[in-house]
Order: sequence, then C-alpha cells, then structure tokens
Amino acid sequence: MTTVQPSLAGEPGLSELLTGLGRDVARDGRVLTVQVPTAGLEPAVRRIAAHRGARLADVFASDPGEDRTPVTLRLVWGLDGDRGYLITESPVDGERYPSLSEIAPAAFAEECEIYEQFGIRPASGRPLNRVALPPWAGPEWPRLGRAPAEPPEDVHAPHHVGGHAFEFPFGPVRQVAVESLYYGLVTSGEELVDLYLFTWHKHRGVEWRLRGCTPAEALFFVERTEGLGAVGNAWAFAAAVEAALGLEPPPQAMAARAIALELERLYNHAAATAALCQSTGLVIGQAAAEIALERLLRVNAAVFGHRFLFGVVGIGGSRRAPDLAALRRDLPGAYGELRRAADALLTTNSFLDRLEATGVLTEEAARRLALVGPVARATGLAIDTRADHPVPPYGEFPPDVAVQQAGDVLARFRVMLTEAAESVRLIGEIGETGPGAGLAVPADDAAAPPGGTGLGWAESSRGESLAWVALDGAGRITRARLRPAAVRNWRGFDDACRSQNVFTDIPIIEASFWLTVAGTSR
Amino acid sequence: MTSQDTTGLTAAEASAELRRTVARLFGRSLHIRTLDTGSCAACEQEIRLLAAPHYDLNRLGFFFTPAPRHADLLMVTGPMVRAFENAARKTYEAMPDPKIVVATGACALGGVYQPDPFTHGGIGGTLPVDVWIPGCPPSPLALLQGLLVAVGRLADKVKDLDFSLNGTPR
Amino acid sequence: MPLWTLRGLRRGVVTTRYPARPEPSARLLPTPPAFQPDVLTRDLADRLVAVCPSDALARDGDALVFDVGACTACGRCQAEAPEAAASSGEFELAATARAHLIKRIPLGGRPA
Repeated sequence: MTTVQPSLAGEPGLSELLTGLGRDVARDGRVLTVQVPTAGLEPAVRRIAAHRGARLADVFASDPGEDRTPVTLRLVWGLDGDRGYLITESPVDGERYPSLSEIAPAAFAEECEIYEQFGIRPASGRPLNRVALPPWAGPEWPRLGRAPAEPPEDVHAPHHVGGHAFEFPFGPVRQVAVESLYYGLVTSGEELVDLYLFTWHKHRGVEWRLRGCTPAEALFFVERTEGLGAVGNAWAFAAAVEAALGLEPPPQAMAARAIALELERLYNHAAATAALCQSTGLVIGQAAAEIALERLLRVNAAVFGHRFLFGVVGIGGSRRAPDLAALRRDLPGAYGELRRAADALLTTNSFLDRLEATGVLTEEAARRLALVGPVARATGLAIDTRADHPVPPYGEFPPDVAVQQAGDVLARFRVMLTEAAESVRLIGEIGETGPGAGLAVPADDAAAPPGGTGLGWAESSRGESLAWVALDGAGRITRARLRPAAVRNWRGFDDACRSQNVFTDIPIIEASFWLTVAGTSR
Repeated sequence: MTSQDTTGLTAAEASAELRRTVARLFGRSLHIRTLDTGSCAACEQEIRLLAAPHYDLNRLGFFFTPAPRHADLLMVTGPMVRAFENAARKTYEAMPDPKIVVATGACALGGVYQPDPFTHGGIGGTLPVDVWIPGCPPSPLALLQGLLVAVGRLADKVKDLDFSLNGTPR
Repeated sequence: MPLWTLRGLRRGVVTTRYPARPEPSARLLPTPPAFQPDVLTRDLADRLVAVCPSDALARDGDALVFDVGACTACGRCQAEAPEAAASSGEFELAATARAHLIKRIPLGGRPA
C-alpha cells in the first residue's frame, strides 16, 4: 500500500471528495483507505453520501483487544461511479461515536451488531436491537470485542402498532425444507402491516471462529457460511487475503473462478424460479424449474467436482480446473430446460398475476437501504459489481447489467432470467480463454507485510459479497469481516412485505429475494 | 427410536424385533419433518430436491409434512446452534411416538464445527439419533438411501466398508 | 395448461430408478477417501490429520482413525498425498450407529 496525496491525477471527482476528508489516504489498487478522526466522521459521512454513485457497502469494527486501545470503526463505501471502494477508519475512544444511521439509514443494522460485539454505540442514543447473540448472552459470552454496558433491546416492530393491529412471532421452525427463520409479524388480520426479523437463532459465530486461522483454513468455513453462495463469498474472502498479501492470481485461475461464479448464479436463479412456482402453488412450473435446477447442479458436479461448487476458489487462485468438455456438452441442455420453463411461466397469466405489484420496493428504498443484486436492479438501480468494480476476467468480459423498473416480484424474476442468459453467454466466452487451476503463492523472498489488510468483493447471485481481512505478521487472521449480500438485502425484505401485501404473499416475496438466512446469521 | 419395549430379549433379538417394528410401522409410508439447527442452506436445497422429478421421494412412500404432529421422521441438519436448542427440543417433543431421528449432513454428525460457545458441533448430544447420513451436503441420492435405511428397506452398507485401498476391489 | 402437459410428455421420465437400479449420475458425486495402508507411515498420517479441516482424521498409535461422518469429501487429504488417499466412490453411507462411521486404517508403511 502506498500513501498518496489526496489529489489523484485524472480522477477529479474522487480527488474533490477526498480533499479535506481526512489525513493519510492510502491506496491499494482501486481501494482507498482514509483515516477520519471520530470528531470529523459525521461531516465526512455526509460528504461521501452526497457523492454521486456512492453507496454504503458495509460498516464494521475491530478491536485490537488490549485494554484502553480504541475500537476502530470502518465504513466501506462502494464508489460505483468511480469504480473504486473507499474505506474510512475512525478510532472510537470511549463508548460513543457519531450517529451514522441518521445520515445513512442503511447503517442501522450494523450499528446494532457493532454494539453487541464491541460495546460502542451511536451518540443519538436511539434504542438498538439485538442481532446476533441470543437474549441470554451475558457479558461473558464470546464477542469480537468488549461487551456492551447495557444489553441491547429485544427487537420490536420498527413502526407504530396501533388500531386493531397485533404482533406475533413466527418460526423459527417453518415450512418443509426451508431454513429456520424467526420473525415478528404485525397484522390487522390478513393484511401485513409490518415484519421484522430475529436473526440470533442460527448465528454460528463465524467471524469469531476465524480469528487465529490461516487464510486456507478459514476458506473452508467461509464456503460453508452460506453454502448456496459458496463461490461468491469465497471469492470475496480470497480476494481480500490476496490484497493483504499482495498476491495476483494467474489469469487462467480467475477465468475458472468466473465460470464457477456464473454457474452458481445460474443454479440459484433456477432455484429461485422453482421457489416462486412453489409459493404460488404452480406445481407443474415448480417441477419444470426443478428439472432445470437438478441438471444445472449435475453440470456443476461434472465440471468442477461438486454440486455446489465447494472447493473451487483457493487462496491465490483456483484449486480446480473446469472440465470444459463436460461444460460444453451439458450446459446448453440444462439451461434450455430453464429457458423453456421460464418462457412457459411468462405466458401463464395465473402465475404472473400473483407476481405483479407484489412486494414492491421503490428505487428510493433500494438506495436508502443500500441494497444490492437483483433486488436492487429490479427497482431501476443499475449496480453490478462485475461492471462497477471489475476484476479479471470481467474487465475483458463485462456483463450487460439487467435492470427493471417496477421493483415488484415480477421485476426481480425478470432480472434473474435476463442474468441467467447473460451468465450462459459469459461462460461461453470466458470458456474460450483457457480457464484452469492455479494458485499464486507469496514469493519466498517477499517479506509478508506486517498487519496487512485487504478488501475483496464478488458479485454473487444475491448481489455484492464483501470481505475484509487483517492478517498478523505470521499471516494468521486477526479480524475477518464477511458481508454476504444477504446481510444488506434482508433489510429490504421488511420494506417489500409492508407494501400492501397479505400473509400468503410472504413466501412469494421471500422466493423473489432468494436470500439465505445463513448468509446473514453467520 | 423411542417407545420400543424390549425387556427380556437378548440384544440380537431386540435388534431384530426393532427392525421388524420399524418396517411394519414405516416401511410403506412415512412422513418427514425437516429441522434446520444452523445449516449453511446447502443441505436444505438437496432435501428440497427429494420431491423434485429427478428423485420423487413420494414414489417410495415418503412424504414431507410441515406438521410435527403428523410426522414420523425428523430430518435434522446443522450443527445445533446453542441458541436454537429450545426450538429443536420443542419440535422433537411435538412429534408423537414412535419417531425416528435422522442426522443429516456433516455438520449434524459432528464435522465442520467443533463444540464451542456458539454451537454444539453436532446434534447427537441434544436429540436421540437413529440414522446418520454423511455428506457436505449429502446428495438427494444419499438422502434417499438414508431414508430407506431408516425404515429398514435398505441395509446399512457403510458398516462393512473399510475405506482401505488394498489393491483388491471391495 | 396443455402446453405444460405436452412438454412434459415430450421430455419423458427423468426420475431415477434408484434403488431398483443404479443411478449413473452418482459417479459425478464427490465421495470420502479410501486410504492406502501400505504407504501410510506415522509422519504421512500426521500430515493428513493436519490438513483435514473437518477433524475427520486422527492418529491413534499405529492406526489412522477416519470418521466418515465428519468427512466433507473436500479432497484436501487427497491433494496432500495422492499416493495415500483416493476417492472411495462410495455415496451410500447412511449408518444405523455412529460407530459404524469410524474406521481404523492400519499404518503399514515403512518410514524412509
């Protein structure tokens, strides 16, 4: 990492933003890190939030662990218009830091999580909800930092419950073969007034567990944090480690990763199609989509040796080479099944009627909550990490970003179908570049940078997956931050459910978001 | 499995009696309730595919049910996150006897996660398990084999495998 | 609706015949390893134990203890020592007792 002056030649928009933002702008590729003293954090956040194309991608903290050393609060901004990321680092001495969610509402869930894990809270004094730790977690419960002085509140309905509306909890054990999820419903009968999630029942403490691991050991757990997003999350994590160690994966390994990532996108969109059919009771459509899904999973097994593509991404590149002959032989037929099912669904009015105007998210809500992925793109927000923050091979093979305007379930479905077609095209083109296995390793004579940190990202099927790591001098993890897309997008689920929907719409909206509980409850 | 009275029988007789009971009660039709104790969601995806056209568990007499009262078999995934324990026990207790518990996937069997403050690292200490299905995730085929073993229609094959390459085919 | 029925009829039956007949797609599945006792020395066994991320391997004196239940078929042990571990090809692994999944492989290799 080199320290550069705030004015960056050829990037006037960025340099204007950075001037006066803080001291010490460090640059690592397209990631800028700036130290912002806590006193200046509020105006800094205002300036960044007002910058065109800036999106709050993540907020997290780390605690060096020694008494009386400040907790470091980091905000990660996606500067989608400038093709870069901006990380602000602020030391928080004491318990309070400036309120972020007043300026950037998307930060609220993270403020709650940071309070639970590090004991620091925004200055506004707004009540913070319990997120990751169960109600009986006392001060001795393992945390990433120090326990809060007072326990957080139990989650309550964010909006006023009045009139004839009442609230009741639902779950965590739910329908057949879906993940456990515990949420509170507020209803006046059939109409859904509000919905809020409890996420502590599946929290496995992955970030806590990764401390002290080598990156290779950690990768095994990162893949299994959210199995349906294994490639996307593993890629983001591996990229963060590679940035910290200064590793550049060989091009054929990046091509192999991209093929795996697009295959992951394909099967997830097929699975979402099946779930949409199931939620609307269209059993025959569900069967057709499931045939496509099963064939796509078999393609994954034939090409990369695992139905869910575990074990492909490695630190420094790719651990497996794709079987291109199997890919060319099996993918067209598998995708054809999905295409035919989708075509039939798009002409089945009884199905489309359930999807139109259901679970509407506005573009304004998507911006305010900093949503990502197909959920955001269906509201008209044209963000896609592959196009906005391209890493090889996407620089050479940029995807056509699929956008819809209506923001309802049908719009999300259309985005997924368009993306599936794009994925097939990308696989075909990238497949011609000679993808293969290969792992870059640190050169023997290169000194491992002490306290190396790195940011990594990938566009998983659910949206931007982010990861940030800090490594010690021996290359072991001192802090790993995993932020799958589900962490961002579950915030939008509440909004989407609230927009004039009834109970039976909830599974339909959930299928159209196609998130996982595991991705946020980690 | 619970509620089998085998007093007065030798171990071998009791085991045979149990197998006959299981086959009689469940051999032709069985209802399955699933339970996620903290999985990564991949096991759930494979379980969903059991009802899909490629596998169609219904043709073998197995059915999914969302109602624990209606269920005969509890298919459990995940490493038993401690915060989930209460919900897991309640689901198990809501199922009437006789019932079968199938631990599904490496996490439930004790792999992947070791016991720590967040998870038990397996379901064995929390629920009485009758059948164990390895895999990460177990494919629908492995799940089908596991269900058929649970009702005694297929034999437990793995107990005779030695996982040794001795140059001779097993 | 006739559209769907016609398509389905044209495609034909995709349902597996398993367990009545073997399922061809099973050969694509990743499977737990089988070990070669003749090359397993204490050192090699210890290397395999160290590389397993799921605690499925342990060494007990002159035996490699393999917990098939904990195995995720990730392939790291095979990558570490391909002469000592190879895919078993077994996917029918359901057990009626947890102990059926614990295997002891004797260390028959001679140290170099």
